[in-house]
Amino acid sequence: MMSAFIVLCLFAIAAMFLGFTKVRGAIVPIAFGGTAIALYFAIGEQPFWNHYLTGMVETGGSAKILAALVLLNALALIPFYAWYERRGQEELGDFTGLFLFASLGAMLMVSSTHYMSLFLGVEILSIAMYILAGADRRKTKSNEAALKYFITGSFTSAILLFGIGMIYALTGSLEMAGTVEVEGQMLLQLAYLFVFTGFALKIAVVPFHFWAPDVYEGTPTLFTAAMASLVKLASIGAFLRIIQLNADLLPAWLNAYYALLILATLILGNVLAVKQQSVKRLLAYSGIVQAGFILMGFISLQPGEEWPVLFYFIAYVLASVVCFVVVHFVESREGTDTLDAFRGLGQRNPILAGTMTLALISLAGGPFTSGFVAKLYVLNQAVANGYASLAVVAVVCTLISVYYYYKVINAVYSKSADPALPVGPVYSGLLILFSLITLAAGILPSLFTSLLK
Amino acid sequence: MYLAALLIAIPLTSALIAFFAGKRIAPYLSLASGVASLFYFLLLMGSYDVVKNYLSYNTSLSWIPEMRIFFHVGFDAAAVLPLLLTQLIVTLSTLATLVRGNDRNAAYYGLIGLTHAALNGFFMAQNPVTFYLFFEATLIPVYFLVLQYGGPDRRKAVFKFFLYTVFGGLLMLAAIVFLQFHMREHLSLAGWDDFYKNKLDLKYQYWLFAAFFIAFAIKTPLFPFHTWQADLYAQADRPSLMIIAAVMSKMGVFGLIRFDFLFVEAIYRWQYLLIPLCLIGVVYGALVAWRQNDMIRILAYSSFSHLGLIAAGILTMANLGIQGGLFAMLAHGLAAAGLFFVADVLIRRTGTTQLDGISGLAHLQPRLSAYFFVIVLSAIGLPLTCGFVGEFYLLWCIAEYKPYLAMFGGLTLILGAAYLLRLYQKTMFGKSPEQGTFQGLSLSEDYVLIVIGLLVIVLGFFPIHWIGLGQYAFRFMNHLPAN
Repeated sequence: MMSAFIVLCLFAIAAMFLGFTKVRGAIVPIAFGGTAIALYFAIGEQPFWNHYLTGMVETGGSAKILAALVLLNALALIPFYAWYERRGQEELGDFTGLFLFASLGAMLMVSSTHYMSLFLGVEILSIAMYILAGADRRKTKSNEAALKYFITGSFTSAILLFGIGMIYALTGSLEMAGTVEVEGQMLLQLAYLFVFTGFALKIAVVPFHFWAPDVYEGTPTLFTAAMASLVKLASIGAFLRIIQLNADLLPAWLNAYYALLILATLILGNVLAVKQQSVKRLLAYSGIVQAGFILMGFISLQPGEEWPVLFYFIAYVLASVVCFVVVHFVESREGTDTLDAFRGLGQRNPILAGTMTLALISLAGGPFTSGFVAKLYVLNQAVANGYASLAVVAVVCTLISVYYYYKVINAVYSKSADPALPVGPVYSGLLILFSLITLAAGILPSLFTSLLK
Repeated sequence: MYLAALLIAIPLTSALIAFFAGKRIAPYLSLASGVASLFYFLLLMGSYDVVKNYLSYNTSLSWIPEMRIFFHVGFDAAAVLPLLLTQLIVTLSTLATLVRGNDRNAAYYGLIGLTHAALNGFFMAQNPVTFYLFFEATLIPVYFLVLQYGGPDRRKAVFKFFLYTVFGGLLMLAAIVFLQFHMREHLSLAGWDDFYKNKLDLKYQYWLFAAFFIAFAIKTPLFPFHTWQADLYAQADRPSLMIIAAVMSKMGVFGLIRFDFLFVEAIYRWQYLLIPLCLIGVVYGALVAWRQNDMIRILAYSSFSHLGLIAAGILTMANLGIQGGLFAMLAHGLAAAGLFFVADVLIRRTGTTQLDGISGLAHLQPRLSAYFFVIVLSAIGLPLTCGFVGEFYLLWCIAEYKPYLAMFGGLTLILGAAYLLRLYQKTMFGKSPEQGTFQGLSLSEDYVLIVIGLLVIVLGFFPIHWIGLGQYAFRFMNHLPAN
């Protein structure tokens, strides 16, 4: 694991320096290769230098799976950054390097066993993402997004840190595990409330969602994809680690807290999405709603049983990455991401239209897609733990989400006289690959869950 | 072991090829797959022994092992007639597109193939999750069929249809998740039997049945969930409308047959409410159909009216009701497909859907008018056509349940005669247009009408082999051993 951190860090620095040279075309392949090597080190059994981690980072078990997911997520996104190179963007090296640093932070978050390394991961990830949110520095919207993200992000860090500080004050240790019986149970519970709320802010569930639509809208779309996938994965992963390591200490009201957040998220997230004209904002709300579903997998979560959450997450990432990438291509051509810009996409580029349609169907939980199986898993989790009514509300709220997803599909398959919108074969191939994985995970979910267990 | 799954695989493969095949090959590919699945189905049916092996040609695969969910399709007595209907109508509907000036692209035939595969899967599904999976899966290709190839106001119509059906489907999903969880310890792999053996508490039965009933009532549609139907039918592309009206509308009533054995007590308690509700739809649909001036809308409301009767018969929970329901599904499917096809023929030639625009075709087209007449007779339910047999069984059951309700049910025959004969008379008799303005029937159109006309009469004369199948499905009622 340590070697994976080092490799990723070195390649991130290399990518940044390559930005100064004339060989910008090499940046994306090198970043991709570096991430692949890091993935190899993360899932392989190489114990090199692991002893330097001094018990602050877990190297096996679910940490390994989560780290692998983070790196796979990065691998899925990096090829698309080549688009900046073709546009002659000078900052490509900075973007790619920062993205690799963000992945590094995410990896640290999901594998930490110590609150210090956790917080370090949060900061590495967040600071990189603040800059990426403002990557399109000539646009005011992008600047606004960066500032908003920075302010809410600092607020999040503060809340998280306050919770961690309270835990330290009560137990005298920053180790996640091994917290013994403490005096002042009430205070400890409050500390957990702060920590979890910090993560809820990162994951963007209602009522901690207010920043997400604005930030998503302003951020350059390829980085919005990273925000919707990487940041959520890292926060959920860190959340899972705390739950795993403190299973018997967690307060009993936690399920009710989840249920409350889920209820608010599903109802409000869906209702607010209906009126959106900007597809990016719509996807932001959709991401909020999906986060609510993911949270449903946390109800009475037992350590070692986190695969429904992870499966849901894979389904969500596959679909949302496809959506954001398609939005990116449409937006870069049309200059806007309103529903009107998507009109006639079915004729202009059938591959973009088809993959996006499948992704939206998967987000809505359509049959034979990974989204359906994923929803089944988390609904089962809710029903099995006595939250059957929550499952019913969730299912009925899905109707609203079907409404706005199909609004997009309706626009995509309407007639238009606009010229074709070609994209490179690599991009099309990747989008098709993601769609095929979405179908495969819907038809043969056991292949994926056996890897996640 | 994969015999049943092959019936899904044939249309699915052809659909996937059709998407990438050219515009010229795709129609024939689709037709070939329709014919192939029809013959394959007949082969399966020929060697299907309902007494020895009630459930044959099982394909059962572990799909989601963590929740004991299996992908399970198979061939049972309840599925035979709907499957026959599906293979027939899909083939005929493809044939119906093969007319001069056909400009449907390859994707159209791909979508038809996907619909076909999903419908086959739906009727063969042997557990609730597989059932739900295909229930929703049929929706997506049909949505695109109407969205891409429908009339000018299709967007609104298809959206309404879609949201309605998805709402019902989602309620059903919630119920199925609960059911699956509730029964997880008692499930083995034997298909529906297993589910029927689990007796649910009455308090659960109420909620679950309500969810299922709303889902099926929307899908069928039954009164008062029918408002999407006429709009959708008026806008849909007409050959694909044959599939929608003839086969997809049966999904709801078929679902009632699949699930009613789980909720026997709940249905007995609520019968007094539900059967009259269905019958209101019967009378209301017939009256509205009578007052329409648009051919497609007349047929849409007629369909709505007949399906109400089928649902009412099934909800009596009598042996004959299930048998009659299954047979009436086939009969109504044939008649509806025939009527919509005749309407398509007329509309393509005259360019209007209004009754006022078409008259006196009997002189010019005696063959068309003869076929049309046979189909109309069957739709009315005249003895010796297949429409009669099913409706007779259904009305019999309703009469056994409450005689005065059968009186309302019987109105469907009278009112049906009123509006369908009005339709026939207005289009076929009266002032003829000039000779030569009305193009004769093409070969493919002739074939479609001959097949439907013959089947309507043959099934009317020899219903007994077919209708008896239903009683095997009924044995779940009390878990009698099959005999």
